[in-house]
Amino acid sequence: MFKYLTGRFILAIPTLLAVMLIVFTLTYISPFDPVKLMLLQNEVRQQDDPELIARIRRQYGYDQPYVTQFVNYITRTVQGNWGISINGQRDILKAVMATLPISAQLGLAAALITALIGIPLGALAALKQNSWLDYFIVGGTLVLRTIPVYVMGPLMLILFVLVLHWMKVPRGWNGLFNSQTTLPIIILTFGPLAVVVRQTRQAVLEVFSQDYVRTAKAKGLSTYATLVRHILRNALIPVVTALGFITEGLIASSVFLDNIFAIPGFGSLSENAFRQLDYPVILGITLVSSILIILTNTLVDLIYPFLDPRVTLES
Amino acid sequence: MSQIAAAPSTGANRAAQLAALEFAQKKPRSLWQDALRKLMRNRLAVIGLVITGLLIFTAIAGDWIAPYPYTRQDLLRTAEGPTWDHLLGTDEVGRDLLSRIIGGARTATLVAFISTFFSVVIGMVMGIIASYGGRWANLLVTRLIDITMSIPTVLLAAMIAATFKPLILNQAKALYATTGWAALKNTGWLELLIVFGGLSVVFWPVFARLIRGQILSLREKEFIEAARAVGVPEWLIALRYLIPNAIGPVIVYMTFTLSSGMVLESSLSYLGIGVMPPQASWGNMIQSNIGSWSYRPWLVAVPAATLAIATLGVNFLGDGLNDALNPQSQTSKVV
Repeated sequence: MFKYLTGRFILAIPTLLAVMLIVFTLTYISPFDPVKLMLLQNEVRQQDDPELIARIRRQYGYDQPYVTQFVNYITRTVQGNWGISINGQRDILKAVMATLPISAQLGLAAALITALIGIPLGALAALKQNSWLDYFIVGGTLVLRTIPVYVMGPLMLILFVLVLHWMKVPRGWNGLFNSQTTLPIIILTFGPLAVVVRQTRQAVLEVFSQDYVRTAKAKGLSTYATLVRHILRNALIPVVTALGFITEGLIASSVFLDNIFAIPGFGSLSENAFRQLDYPVILGITLVSSILIILTNTLVDLIYPFLDPRVTLES
Repeated sequence: MSQIAAAPSTGANRAAQLAALEFAQKKPRSLWQDALRKLMRNRLAVIGLVITGLLIFTAIAGDWIAPYPYTRQDLLRTAEGPTWDHLLGTDEVGRDLLSRIIGGARTATLVAFISTFFSVVIGMVMGIIASYGGRWANLLVTRLIDITMSIPTVLLAAMIAATFKPLILNQAKALYATTGWAALKNTGWLELLIVFGGLSVVFWPVFARLIRGQILSLREKEFIEAARAVGVPEWLIALRYLIPNAIGPVIVYMTFTLSSGMVLESSLSYLGIGVMPPQASWGNMIQSNIGSWSYRPWLVAVPAATLAIATLGVNFLGDGLNDALNPQSQTSKVV
């Protein structure tokens, strides 16, 4: 078991290195010059002194060939030195660590609600296959998924605040259990909801045609009991498989969501970085997002065999 | 036909047999005619078709149907509500909102079509290399697909655009200073070019994976094996049998990529690294007014609703095409 675990994580390393290579190469060719930035940040008088620039370049290894620089970049990243942002000069790793928990709470809450709503909805759609209810559930969730967050956010705000007067402008972050987070969490669930509904519906339909379900029905089990005991357990597998995909969707949604609702989360950090072309921060957030997705996928691979005994750990 | 032959001839399903007989006597319809009939019977798909058609028409005829040039400002009449001479009102610097929406339709459609075209071409080449190029080529391409897909789409596209935008714009500025070419003065089309590039890079893996999978699964089918057995050369098999059988899913994916392309273009423009004002994009229109949504809601709501309707329309069409072209597939290509 332990051997398998380490094996899985070692498998993820080449992908991570490749992601880092892409991200590093993009910054390498970008017009961003770390040395000039350093001079600017330390308010050095002779900003254009070529000798000074060359000396700093040598000192920090920026005159080294591309490959050496890449190796240095990996070493620095692993050591936790992710650089300093151009705007505000914050330590990037610290900024990520400060914002990520907020987004993670929102994301997990959204994922939980998605599962609680999505799985029953998907099962219901499958039970009433090809009825208007089925079309309504599948079509409706799809509509919600298709509309981008930065469209849904303002539209919901206009609807709930200006038209219906149901709430005051929800802004800021005062912990997860606060009425301000209601709208952001609802909007976050719209992305993955359609995925969970589709996967559950599909899986339930597939399991329905299996012999053991017919047996369960034949021995007199009610539809509800069959659903809970035999179908849902097997139907969960494809939902779990989609977790990596869902994580990606949540990260992408939060990029556009945070600033609309003034949440100081990971998305806000990302959006501001892109807006100000803050390359060191862009590097950091891309790396963190990829790590999260790769970790989720590895985790899915790990729990998959427990849900589906036909899949063995070693294969 | 095999199903009809296999049906047991009991009296109970004589009606079915009669229907089948009637069906068999009718003039055979081709796959495409059949698909078109199915598409037209699907109400949502027809709505989607109409919206997509309108979008393409607006993109092509935009300059003629727009009441004003979309960059013309009237600083005495900023942020007005709908009036008779400005049907949707004016934006924060006095530009006609309807004309800007039409201009945004052109940007979105152009980006969607061109980046989809590029990603299909790249994906097709990569998919063919992966399936015919031997073990190493296969490994390389599939790893590349996995890696590209493990960076969130928006972030990768935004990062590519953010990297290349200053580079290309600086080059263009330098080139303009030395040559004085008028084409380089307006950087709007360069911004578009950068968006095409970014989107193609994030979209091709989907096509490469799809085409590789199609080729690999079709190659094992009996009818391909039969063709090979009677000595049909490999290129002719590809041309005659592989491509026609693989094209359906590719068309469906292309439709979904069109709508993702529109959304991503708006997203990049929203983040300020795609198409910038005064060029019109639904994304940058939402962005310019999002800070004032509570007292000028229509300036946010109109472009937002347009973007939502456009993407939904194209997606409905894609779903309809999926049902029409791939009747066996149960999975939706959107999720």
